Amino acid sequence: MASDKLRALNAKEEKEAEMDMSPMIDMVFLLLIFFIVVSSPMIVKMDPSVKPAVAFNSTAAEDKNGRIVINVRGEEEYYKLNFNDADAKMTSEDDIADYVEAEVKRIKSLSTEYTPKLHLRGDKKALFEFSQTAIAGAARAGVNQIIFSVYPFAAE
Amino acid sequence: MARRKKGLMLEDDEPALDISSLIDVCFLLLIYFLVTSTIQPREQDLPMTLPSSQKSDAPLEIEPMLIAVKKTGSGFSVVVNKSETLDTSVEGERRRLPLLLESLVTYSNLAKSNDTKPLVQLFIDPLVDQQTAMDVLNCLRGAGINSVTFSMGAK
Repeated sequence: MASDKLRALNAKEEKEAEMDMSPMIDMVFLLLIFFIVVSSPMIVKMDPSVKPAVAFNSTAAEDKNGRIVINVRGEEEYYKLNFNDADAKMTSEDDIADYVEAEVKRIKSLSTEYTPKLHLRGDKKALFEFSQTAIAGAARAGVNQIIFSVYPFAAE
Repeated sequence: MARRKKGLMLEDDEPALDISSLIDVCFLLLIYFLVTSTIQPREQDLPMTLPSSQKSDAPLEIEPMLIAVKKTGSGFSVVVNKSETLDTSVEGERRRLPLLLESLVTYSNLAKSNDTKPLVQLFIDPLVDQQTAMDVLNCLRGAGINSVTFSMGAK
């Protein structure tokens, strides 16, 4: 009699509801990996010293080929795409013209379909004078399309 | 019966992995990344074409519009065709220049009715900051004007 009762109790314990946590862990890992992946490339590719201006009529970048990046930090200093390189700093219109000319040759050698464009990343507080110098340098090297890099809405 | 009991006991003794601490750590990391990461807006394009890349075989049928952005104290003023002073500050969160936009839309429509492209010559004071220059270019884009001539002042 007593053993029957024990058996009945054991059977009840086995039927207790258990929560399957594996999908939750999957999701947590997925989110974790997403944040790790998304947070790293921003620092690598863009000069963090440059905070672009805001323009609401801007459009998402479509053609990313053939861009010649110049970062205008605020003083009379212009930086190439790889702003950490030793030779990244340019100080005059002549330097910019030489750099753009070399880049145009490089782009044309990659593909004849690419149109060289100046991708100007100017700090919003910088004087426009410096951007004008960069535009003039690029125009001297034969680049007439200018893309101003802007934020679509205020970041702060 | 005895054999069944023995089997049950064996199952109970099986080693089980306690994953609750793993979940704790994962959540901790997740919350850390959520809190520390600031959402950085993706940079977008504001393209403009300089005149030398445009083919202009046809004679000009429309007067070019001259826009001058001049620095005034801590602000700026937008002067059109050397005489008409329009906006002296941006409006609202969207940084609009309503008077300039109205003027540009009228000019753009006039150009379209003459079957020509609107010609805008832009002089921006070198002492004006980049944000103000972008506000004017933003206004040009808003009026559907994608090509502009930058006039350089004497250095």
